[in-house]
Amino acid sequence: MRVLFFAQLKDATGCESVELALSGPLDVEKLWVELVRRFPKLAAHRATVRLSRNWEYADAQTQFLASDEVALIPPVSGG
Amino acid sequence: MEIDIQLVQEPIAEKISLPKSVGAHGAWIEFRGVVRGEEKGDRISALEYEAYPEMAQLEIRRLLAELSGSHQCLAAKVIHRTGIIPVGDTAIYVGIASTHRAEGIALLAKFMDRLKQDVPIWKRRGLVESVAVSNRGSGGQGTARLAMRSLDEAREEISARCQTRSAVQVSLNEAIGRVLREEVRATGDLPSSDRSTRDGFALLQDDASEVFQVVDTIHAADWKPRGLKTGEAVRIATGAALPGDGLRVVMQEHVERTGDEIRITKHESELNIRKRGEDMRVGQSLVREGVRLDAGTLALLATVGCAKPLVSPRLRAVHYTTGDEIVAADQAPKPGQIRDSNSILIRGLLDGFGCDVHHEHLPEDFERAKAHIGNPHAVTGRADVVLVSGGASVGDKDFTRPLLEWLGFEVVFNQVNVRPGRPLIFGVDGSRTAFGIPGNPLSHFVCFHAFIAEAVMKMTGAKSKPFSNGALATKLDDASNPRETLWPARLDAAGLHPLVWASSGDITCLVETNALIRVPANTGSIKAGTAVDYLSTNF
Repeated sequence: MRVLFFAQLKDATGCESVELALSGPLDVEKLWVELVRRFPKLAAHRATVRLSRNWEYADAQTQFLASDEVALIPPVSGG
Repeated sequence: MEIDIQLVQEPIAEKISLPKSVGAHGAWIEFRGVVRGEEKGDRISALEYEAYPEMAQLEIRRLLAELSGSHQCLAAKVIHRTGIIPVGDTAIYVGIASTHRAEGIALLAKFMDRLKQDVPIWKRRGLVESVAVSNRGSGGQGTARLAMRSLDEAREEISARCQTRSAVQVSLNEAIGRVLREEVRATGDLPSSDRSTRDGFALLQDDASEVFQVVDTIHAADWKPRGLKTGEAVRIATGAALPGDGLRVVMQEHVERTGDEIRITKHESELNIRKRGEDMRVGQSLVREGVRLDAGTLALLATVGCAKPLVSPRLRAVHYTTGDEIVAADQAPKPGQIRDSNSILIRGLLDGFGCDVHHEHLPEDFERAKAHIGNPHAVTGRADVVLVSGGASVGDKDFTRPLLEWLGFEVVFNQVNVRPGRPLIFGVDGSRTAFGIPGNPLSHFVCFHAFIAEAVMKMTGAKSKPFSNGALATKLDDASNPRETLWPARLDAAGLHPLVWASSGDITCLVETNALIRVPANTGSIKAGTAVDYLSTNF
């Protein structure tokens, strides 16, 4: 699974993306646990960050698969 | 409804033409969002926008589709610029076509509200006005004193401050020199079946017949599985798949053939078979993530069908040389002048790391250099790494740092306790990094391998290259020096041979150099046979 980081999350993780090796599907909670384990600084952003799965916002029921492109979307400010 | 969505890096045109489907009737409502000169209370000269382009386009499309359910809309055009956008330039353009203006205006207002909530585009940061920056970094009282870093501190800090770029998929033809960003595994056994290593005749391993009947012929590309009986043989070519298990191949030189019959003239114990999976087994890890792709590795990727590997993007480097005493390599230097060797040195080194290099030579004077560059973000705004080579004259130390600050970089350190290369400057700005390199070619070479390569490797996702352990093959002759030294050396089978260099202006030793020996501070000469640390300068 490829996980992308944007804006201030790049500063928090020190990278634009990371490849996660998955043994099976992950729910939102498990994905966050894995991400925070890899990048402890992400914990502080969890309350404001939305997840996307294959270019669509995820919801609480979303299952993430190994073939997915996932992104952590901090509050947006375009326009 | 006709929808046109674009995310662009270039300026948005002053005049945008109407979509054809709008026709001669109705309303075309246009909106432009322009970058203001102030961001969070600071006066700025530009704003940097970042987007998640694939999702941003889909999200804009979803928003328009949703809003057009409640507001009549004939066509829509949305252009959002990203990257560094100067104050006064358009960041977003939205055009909405509808039969009546009220509908279009209402839709536009709602669209902009929703865009600012849901579309993954970010104002990354404001770029402070260059006037303020140049005052701050003029080299006078306003410049903060930065602590000198040790070699290890500098390398760690560079690695920590650089951001790894997102991987991209490219064809094998474009992959040379890039860093592999996925693990590649064998997709099948190789060879995929038992293969003959000889031109000859396949027969049962334990068949002791005198005469064999040739029942078939198998060419290199054939796939003809079949059982063989006692007294039967199959003509087979080198590399061809064997027709079954439990066989051996008798070379044709050891056989006498008469029509369809053969007789073995010389017996040998060799099976002459390359076993299935002898080279690789399915699922076996072949190349690890973080490896730089060379020709041999690319051949392996092609073999297993990894035709579009996930790799690092090519980095964009901007290299400025400075110094009025520098002339091009094809010119004759006047007294006091030298030929420019740094630009080709840097280009060659960066090329080996899969970087595209844009080089410009700047006038010696800061004001003239700024005038030459023009907009500080125009060329360097999209660069991943900006390098400034100082000239050899005294004033350069004061020139590179304010130049980097004027270009928008925060200078992290400007001295490393190492020779050659002490006045190395390292700066960061978001995901961009910059180095000011002391002017001598040997300093360039050492600074590149010890420091700049660390940055490039982190940005491309390559594994950091640590110092290795080795032993001196010949004596290292040096007076004790308070600074740690990276000593040019030739590494061969006998060990490390320190090369002769007297000053950082020396360049002849670069022809031989393939390693840098780490000589701790206050060491002096080192005897042959002593264990030392060194950094390989091979890619």
